[in-house]
Amino acid sequence: MTALLRLEDVSLGYRGRPVLEHVSFGVEGGEFAALLGPNGAGKTTLFRGMLGLIPVFTGRVEYGFNRRTQPPGYVPQKESLDPIFPLTAYEVVLMGAAARVPPFWPVGRHQRRLATDCLARVGLADAAEQPFWALSGGQKQRALIARALAVQPQLLLLDEPTAGVDPGAEAAIIDAIARLNRDEGLTVIIVSHHMRLVREVVRSVIWVEAGAATKGTTAEMLSSERLVEAFGAGATRPL
Amino acid sequence: MLSADFLLRNALIGSVVVGLVCPLVGVYFVLRRMIFLGVALPQLSAAGVAFAFLLKSMAGAHQHGEAAERALALVGSLGFAFVGLVVLAALERRGRETLEARIGIAYAFAAAASILFVSADPYGEAEMTHLLRGDIVTTTPSSLRLLVGVLGAVALVLLALRKELLLVSFDRDMAVVLGKRAALWDTLLYLLIGVTISFGVMTAGPLVTFGFLVVPPLAARLMTRHMLAFSIVAAVFGAVTAFAGFFVAYRFDLPLGPTDVALASTGLVVVVALRGLVGVARVGRIRR
Repeated sequence: MTALLRLEDVSLGYRGRPVLEHVSFGVEGGEFAALLGPNGAGKTTLFRGMLGLIPVFTGRVEYGFNRRTQPPGYVPQKESLDPIFPLTAYEVVLMGAAARVPPFWPVGRHQRRLATDCLARVGLADAAEQPFWALSGGQKQRALIARALAVQPQLLLLDEPTAGVDPGAEAAIIDAIARLNRDEGLTVIIVSHHMRLVREVVRSVIWVEAGAATKGTTAEMLSSERLVEAFGAGATRPL
Repeated sequence: MLSADFLLRNALIGSVVVGLVCPLVGVYFVLRRMIFLGVALPQLSAAGVAFAFLLKSMAGAHQHGEAAERALALVGSLGFAFVGLVVLAALERRGRETLEARIGIAYAFAAAASILFVSADPYGEAEMTHLLRGDIVTTTPSSLRLLVGVLGAVALVLLALRKELLLVSFDRDMAVVLGKRAALWDTLLYLLIGVTISFGVMTAGPLVTFGFLVVPPLAARLMTRHMLAFSIVAAVFGAVTAFAGFFVAYRFDLPLGPTDVALASTGLVVVVALRGLVGVARVGRIRR
C-alpha cells in the first residue's frame, strides 16, 4: 500500500518554539488511525501540522495525492464555529461541495446535488433546511462530516468529533466514520481522548506524548502496560 | 420626490445608494464580530479628509474648485482607511491585544487626529464642516456617477465572490485546508470595506456611514435564516431607510444624517419587538 500521508523528521510548534520534534510516520491508504495522548501533549499541534494549518519548522509533510485538486476532508470541533452566521445545514455542506468551483463561478446543479447526497450519507437528509445552530450537537458534527465528504477527499481528518455530544450521538458518529472507512475505503485520522470508543474501531494509533509522536497498531499502543505508564494505575479501567 | 425635476434628486439617489451598499459590507462586520470597526474606520476616513486639507493649506493652495477638492478629500479618506485596516490586520496577526482594545485605540487616535488636523488648518473648519457632515445635498451629477459606479462595483464583487468571502469568514481553517489564500481574501474584503467607507463618509458623513454599516445587518440578522437572504434584506432595509429618511428630513426640514440613523434604529427596535412577540406567540401555541 502507498502512504497517503507521510511525516519525515518533522518539528512543529508555535512562535518558533517546538512542541513536537523529530516526528516520523506514515498513514497508508484505507487506514483508520487515532491520534491519542494526554491533554496538552501536542495532539492538536500535530493535527494542524498534518493539515498544513501551521508551518513545519524542519522536516517534510508529504501527501500521496494532489492537495490542490483534491484537498483533504477536514472536520473541526463544532465549538470553533460562530453561531452568528445564518446558515442552514445544507448551506454549511454546500461550502465543501463548492470548494473546487473557481472564484466568480456560481455554484452549479452538480455541487447542489453533491451537498444533498452528502447530507443523506450521514443521515441528515431531513434536516437540510434546519438552521445549522438549531441542530443537536451530534447532528452538527454529522453535518460537518458531510461538509468534509462533499470535498470528495481521499483522506479525512477529524478533530475530536465526539466532544460535547451525548453518549448515544457519540456512538452514532463513530459508527458513521467507521462505515465510511470500511465501506468506502476512506482513509481516516481522528483526534480523540475517548479511548474506549475509538479502540474498538481504529486499526492504528499515533500516540503523542512528551514532545514526540509514535505510531503502532491499536493493540501495541493501547496495551495495559503502556496506559499505566502514561496515565497511572487507574488507566486500565474502561475510559 | 421621484420626479426628474426634483431639485435634490442627485442627493436622494446618492443617499439610497449609500443605504443600499453599506449594509452589504456591514454584513461582514456583524458576522466577523467587528462592529466597532464600523465606527473606527469612518472616523479614520474623516481624519484622512482633514489631513488632506491640512496638506493643501500648508502647500498654499486654496482655490482648486469643487472637483479637485473632492478628489483630494477622497485620496486622504481612502489612504487613512487603508492604512488603518492594514495596521489593524497586522496587529490582529500578532494577537497580543484584544480586538476591542485595537479598535478602541484606532477610534481614539482618529477622533483626536481629526480635531488636531482641523485646528492646525486655517481653512479647515469650513471645508471639513461641508464634507464631514456628509453634505449630501450638494451631490453633483458627476460625483453621483462616480458614487454609483464605485459602490455598484463593490456590490457586484461582494455578490460574485460571496462563497469565498463567506468560507473565509465562517471557517478560516477550512478555507486554508481547501487551498484558499485566506490572507488574500481578507485583503480584498478590507479593500472593499475601505472603498465603501471612504465614499460613504464623503457622501453622507461618518455617522450615517456607521449607522448604515451596522443597523440594517443587525435587523436583517433577526429576520433571516439564509446567508443570501441576510445580505439582501440588510441592503433593502438600508435603502428603504435612506429613502424614508430623506423624505422625513425634506418634509420636516431636519438634518438628513441623524434622521437616517434615527429611522434605521427605530426600524431595528420594531424588528426586535416583533421578533419577541412572535417568540411569545410560539411558546403560547406550544403550551396549548
